[in-house]
Amino acid sequence: MRYWMSSYGLLLGWAGLRGRATLALNLVIQTCLAVGIVVGFAFLVPNLDDATALYLSTGAPVLGLITVGMVIGPQEVASAKQEGIFEFNRSLPVPRSALIASDATIALVTALPGMLAALVVAWLRFDLDLQISPLVVPAILLTAAAAIGIGYGIGYGLAPPIARMVSQLVVFVALMFSPIVFPISRLPDWFASVHLVLPFQYMAESVRDTLSVPPDGVRLLPFAVLAAWSLAGFLVAYRMMARRT
Amino acid sequence: MLYIKDIVKTYKRGVRANDGVTIQVGAGEVVGLLGHNGAGKTTLINQVAGLTVPTSGTIRVDGCDPVAEPSKVRRMIAVMPQSHAPLTGVTPRQVIKSMARIRGMSKSAANTRTEELIEALDLGEWADTTGERLSGGVRRLTAFGMAAASPGQVVMLDEPTNDVDPARRRLLWEQIRGLANRGCAVLLVTHNVVEAERSVDRIVVLDSGKVMAEGTAAQLRSRAAGDLRLELTAADIDGLPSLPEHIATAGPPLRASRRLTIALESSAAADALTWAQRLRASQDIDEFSLVPVGLEDVYLDLVGGESTSNGEEEG
Repeated sequence: MRYWMSSYGLLLGWAGLRGRATLALNLVIQTCLAVGIVVGFAFLVPNLDDATALYLSTGAPVLGLITVGMVIGPQEVASAKQEGIFEFNRSLPVPRSALIASDATIALVTALPGMLAALVVAWLRFDLDLQISPLVVPAILLTAAAAIGIGYGIGYGLAPPIARMVSQLVVFVALMFSPIVFPISRLPDWFASVHLVLPFQYMAESVRDTLSVPPDGVRLLPFAVLAAWSLAGFLVAYRMMARRT
Repeated sequence: MLYIKDIVKTYKRGVRANDGVTIQVGAGEVVGLLGHNGAGKTTLINQVAGLTVPTSGTIRVDGCDPVAEPSKVRRMIAVMPQSHAPLTGVTPRQVIKSMARIRGMSKSAANTRTEELIEALDLGEWADTTGERLSGGVRRLTAFGMAAASPGQVVMLDEPTNDVDPARRRLLWEQIRGLANRGCAVLLVTHNVVEAERSVDRIVVLDSGKVMAEGTAAQLRSRAAGDLRLELTAADIDGLPSLPEHIATAGPPLRASRRLTIALESSAAADALTWAQRLRASQDIDEFSLVPVGLEDVYLDLVGGESTSNGEEEG
């Protein structure tokens, strides 16, 4: 464990060093994106009631996390594979899980400021009365972990050109066809049942219910589903990283 | 230190990348692995590094099996890959130091070793320039520095001298020798026969996954037919008059695009020289040279680098 922790620490420093050049730009883009969703979606719905405002406000940060984890994540992995960095990393004398964990930590650090900015802007824009639960911390972390885990699963599990295409599809589905910034009741039944399996509505629900706790309390099912998706994503990434042909 | 015995690697589609390869590299030894693209060199390195599993055969790194204990073996080896190292956004000084630390060196030892390598490879001018602004040669030197920072027992270098300028190439070879002097077993993949001939202890020639020959440069040269090579350069190499019958050749001539190479025994040197001078005087050829046999000749004989001519009449 000590070896794992020291490897993780050193790899974190190494990943941070490499990411430093693009970190500032990444943070600005993430923030603009999340804030843009709050402001932009409000144009789509001219007469915002409180319920819609809540969906928009809590959905925007989730979309920010999805973008970092499931769109930028697989694209970065695809590039790393094509540039030979993936093979290089595989030859390093460190546990592969520490390698994935350090990259995921950097992705998380990149995603969080934009997410918080979106919340602040939403709060200012819609003057929301939020009932924040302490469970918001695990909710955000699990949402981020699921997004990053699935993103790595896509990136490591698929060939680079396919991973890139799938990541584009993910952002399209997440933005337009997922019950993140609108209630699931607006979707046709068959599509709503597809979302019982996909992680998007659970991401949105966990964040929304912990920021504005409903009268019957926070449901724990979304947390369990997100934990399962995170585990599955990271497991695929780990298997591909440790795979020997 | 590095023991590779009867390694066979067959990929799923039936491609046999390694076919019974046996190589040993002792501590303090530099062994050059020569071969064309696709000869199976990188596959072999990946198997030693535990990234690929052999179909059959044995590999031992200081007694450890990379198939059974891949993570342990990864801590005993250092690999400089053929592809570019990840240098975008980071400087040579930062990456060499980071690799030294990741490979287990203390902070102060990593600093010392980094400065030592930067000076030894004459990288000072670019030590604090980020990767995307570095030339290919400086990137290769940096990648070497990353592997050499804390090299472990076995170092594998995949074409380390590519793109490196001649002056720094010499410095690089000195550092490769330095690794061996520290007790490392160095396995080095290269296309550059002339360099290998000068700089490594032993050479292994790999072709289509098989070891075609192995030995010191002198041992390999002794395999060549004849002692000398007469090289003729002409615009129309096929239109040259035949070699006079009294000049005894030591093997079939080799033709490249504008060059004809004829293997000779030393006894035929004087006659061959006279013939070549006559061809130049009649402007049948542009130039000629009579040189002692080199490793490149042996290498090309072994792996068929140039097309042989198809009959005596063309000699």
